[in-house]
Amino acid sequence: MTGLDPGIQAPARLKLMTMLTAVSEAEFSTLRDSLDVSDSVLSKHVAALVTVAYVKSRKGVHLGHRTTWISLTTKGRKALSAHVAVLRELIAGVE
Amino acid sequence: MVDAEASRAHLAGTLVLPSFFYAAIGGAVAVQIATSAVSITDDRVWAPVRLAGVALFVLVAAVQLVRFRQLNGVRLGGLASRVVLGSATPAFISYALGLGASAWAALNRMWWLAAVCAVAGGAAYALSGRRWWGRYRGDPASHSRGESAGWIAILGAVAVAGLVLLVLWRR
Repeated sequence: MTGLDPGIQAPARLKLMTMLTAVSEAEFSTLRDSLDVSDSVLSKHVAALVTVAYVKSRKGVHLGHRTTWISLTTKGRKALSAHVAVLRELIAGVE
Repeated sequence: MVDAEASRAHLAGTLVLPSFFYAAIGGAVAVQIATSAVSITDDRVWAPVRLAGVALFVLVAAVQLVRFRQLNGVRLGGLASRVVLGSATPAFISYALGLGASAWAALNRMWWLAAVCAVAGGAAYALSGRRWWGRYRGDPASHSRGESAGWIAILGAVAVAGLVLLVLWRR
């Protein structure tokens, strides 16, 4: 069994990546409001996930304002699946 | 993990479709089917009528997808390919049957039947989209992504081949 992915261990990052599986791409403020975090906190998590190539970000426009669009990469999707599988195994072991 | 899954379900649950979404898509598909059927029967109006139908569909599809993105702050590939472009099997079958029946009726100069078939095809196409939306809400992760570019190309090639066959059959 491979271990938990350190890049997704923070609950906010797990939540962010899980939410991104529901869409192809999400606008920064949509994610910020859904996660109920500040701009700086979300920026920090996104930057960390971009560094490990789990998410992609691009500059764009939303409702006339410049903003950032964020999406899950194929690598990120696989990493999330593996991480969740390990979590499930851990939980099953405890139960 | 439960919290993360709840957040995903909440995000998917808060997404809304633009007003008159299904009516717009179904109407545009019906017009596209009708114009394609008419264009097969009369060479004089072939190009402009068929192009007008395609242009209307492209315009309506683009407007609906932009409105969805503006309303929700997300882009949803599954909605674009399976609902709007009709790559979902029920939508594809609805379109193919609607076009085939409408073209057959038009070739036999039964214009009222051609119109009915086009409307039925558009309505079935829209209903297929509604069904997909319900399935997406139930399991967003499995339905969020759109079809691959390769599959879209195959569907497009099949559609073009079908039209070419109809034209050749007429001559």
